[in-house]
Amino acid sequence: MACCFCFSSSSPCPFPLNPTPSLKPHIQNPTKLRPSTPLFSSSSFSDPVVIQLAESLEDSLSGSSSPPSLPLQKLRDSSSLSLLSKSWPSSKDEPFRFTDTSFLKKSPIRPVSAPFPASHPAIPSPLNDPDALFANLAVIDGVIVPSLSNLSSLPNGVFVGSAADAPESLSKRVLELIAGFPDGDLFWDLNGIGAPDVAVVYVPAGCRVETPLHLGFFSLEGTEDGLNGLPVSNPRALVLVEEGGEIGIVEEYSGGDDVDEVKRYWANSVMEIVIGEGAKVRHSYIQRQSASAAHIKWTFVRQGASSTYEVVETSTGGKLSRHNLHIQQLGPETVTEISTFHLSGSNQTQDLHSRLVLDHPRGYSRQLHKCIVTHSSGQAVFDGNIKVNRYAQQTDAGQLTRSLLLVPRATVNIKPNLQIIADDVKCSHGAAISDLEQDQLFYFQTRGVDLQTARNALIFSFGADVTGRLPFKSIQKRVESHVRDLLAARGAVQ
Amino acid sequence: MASAFSLHFPFSFPSSSSHPSFPKLPLNPSIVTLSATSSRFRHVHHSRRSRIPAASIAVDSPSTSKSDGIENSPKPLLEVKDLTAVIAESKRKILHGINLVIYEGEVHAVMGKNGSGKSTFSKVLAGHPDYEVTGGSVVFKGENLLDMDPEERSHAGLFMSFQAPVEIPGVSNIDFLRMSYNARRTKQGLKELGPIEFYGFLSPKLAAVNIDTSFLDRNVNEGFSGGEKKRNEILQLAVLEADMAILDEIDSGLDVDALQDVAKAVNSLSTPKNSVLMITHYRRLLDFIKPKYVHIMEDGRIIKTGDVSLAKQLEKEGYKAVSAV
Repeated sequence: MACCFCFSSSSPCPFPLNPTPSLKPHIQNPTKLRPSTPLFSSSSFSDPVVIQLAESLEDSLSGSSSPPSLPLQKLRDSSSLSLLSKSWPSSKDEPFRFTDTSFLKKSPIRPVSAPFPASHPAIPSPLNDPDALFANLAVIDGVIVPSLSNLSSLPNGVFVGSAADAPESLSKRVLELIAGFPDGDLFWDLNGIGAPDVAVVYVPAGCRVETPLHLGFFSLEGTEDGLNGLPVSNPRALVLVEEGGEIGIVEEYSGGDDVDEVKRYWANSVMEIVIGEGAKVRHSYIQRQSASAAHIKWTFVRQGASSTYEVVETSTGGKLSRHNLHIQQLGPETVTEISTFHLSGSNQTQDLHSRLVLDHPRGYSRQLHKCIVTHSSGQAVFDGNIKVNRYAQQTDAGQLTRSLLLVPRATVNIKPNLQIIADDVKCSHGAAISDLEQDQLFYFQTRGVDLQTARNALIFSFGADVTGRLPFKSIQKRVESHVRDLLAARGAVQ
Repeated sequence: MASAFSLHFPFSFPSSSSHPSFPKLPLNPSIVTLSATSSRFRHVHHSRRSRIPAASIAVDSPSTSKSDGIENSPKPLLEVKDLTAVIAESKRKILHGINLVIYEGEVHAVMGKNGSGKSTFSKVLAGHPDYEVTGGSVVFKGENLLDMDPEERSHAGLFMSFQAPVEIPGVSNIDFLRMSYNARRTKQGLKELGPIEFYGFLSPKLAAVNIDTSFLDRNVNEGFSGGEKKRNEILQLAVLEADMAILDEIDSGLDVDALQDVAKAVNSLSTPKNSVLMITHYRRLLDFIKPKYVHIMEDGRIIKTGDVSLAKQLEKEGYKAVSAV
């Protein structure tokens, strides 16, 4: 395999200095944000839009009767502190160079009016229709809803639920681990401030959970005209798999029936995954939000020695969908497999920013990212960074991205990059952007299949290359049929 | 060089194998000796329409004479006349007038150096969009092949196995085979087969070409070894039950064992009605799939036709010797 030494251009300053310190007066009540944390004496770093949003999130949670759990308190404290130095990202910030979040900034954002009424009747599938195969945790607008969850099939010792309900020993572990990521962006911090709860998934050492766990994140509150503001919810989850443990999780986001394309809301979600030595997590991530929604998501994974992390993503929804996937290696001989598929239609931006940091020897990683853009106003963004640091000798890292642009003027911005400091490694990457392959079309034709049918089959199979890796057949079928419907609805296949 | 072998026959294609009149042979005595052994001319240059000095002849070996005079003599399956073609993009000429007739039940081999146009010839027959036909005709089972889209050629019974079959990630082999088979059934006005019915139809084919069922769940050609890819092509041929199989370098990249497997599969599919056109560099393949005729191609023309001894001569003396004769 070819060995590439490909260095990305250095990132600009992570928080550009704001040249206009006159923003200070806009901070209506800075002390409210974090009473116990002194604000910087000069708040010239602060962005009034950000501070205002953070305050409104804080206000929305202050009405809660019971005090927050210790992990949640820690999360809020550290996030508030970190947020003060953040401004709303613009295209001048490298991570948002191609991803325009200005519509979100201009929107009248307001926190969802939680708490969610426990007996709400209109909860669409699949949340109220859990597959018998799966254990199921329902999270609605960021709030865990036990009445819609079914966790009875999980083995003893496994905990799935609110951090507030975790046994003391687990609570301590969660406290140690939560918010353990120093490089989060504004949205990471906003989630930390606005998360009403932390959904904890705990697998004890040596425990192999055979029943897959479905984590259904549903956005209930939304508006159709945007006049009533844009409700934002902040779901938060922490998955902790101890040494030798194993679990399959399906993390799914939706805002209603598949046809509901006009509902507006913003889901700003974070999941942290900690995988102990020799442990294994199979992670399916399915994002099928409304086409008018904003979906910003962080996945932060820490991988212990000899652990395995496999993620398969399918993102089809959202006007703006951004997935930040950060995987940090904590020990040698890790296995990491990342397979992602994005489908971007009219006025949609699908963005994956992935980063795999290898600090230990003999790591193995494979990444496949694919995206289809079906409309001239659609856009796909991929920034895939693999960092092979000095001690990560004998790393075997491969990355491949393929983009299919089906119409003129459809856009894709691709930045695959390997940063290699170790000198004894096997790394490869490749990127291809194309229309359908003529050779493949011809192959179908010579076997008697007409051009249109061949096109349809090839467009669908382009994504099926990734969706076919979803580890649970029933989920795979559902996702593939959803993708098929979307392709047909958008005229990409006939 | 090649023009030395040009022959211009004043008559069009002879339909009767016992054609009484030998054509008047012009000029080149070496051709005369070659032609004199034949009982009928199959490959002729149809010179009345065009005067392109590019033509070739091919002659039958005496062994075909046994069918002479029999009423149900084999019908021509594929008739190629004066076929010229260019690369669609650059307009560079690749085929300079190919003449070839293949009858039902016959096995032909086309040999030639790299760049002689052998693979282009097979792709043009399959209708590859990279090439543009600029002259001549191709009649398949009595119909104009050049008017047909690639899929219609397939429905008509023409099959080409690719030299390097393309990988199709995301499409399983069995889905591909079923899609292909059902397209043909639909064309024939038959009901499409469901997955289970199709599996029933497929099972004996798998056995015939010695392919494991685990092949079916894999994506088309993805991660296949060279031998697996070629066997997969033959499986498709078996499924489509084509009348005319064009095998483009079916032997490339195969060791002897794999080649034997593939050849066995091809031979198992042969009937008195269907024909094979092999494109190859090496005589080795001809030991396993025995052709009745061997054609030597050079510079976009068939310059020489003979039986399998021609391939032997070629192996011994090289293309240079053969084309110098």
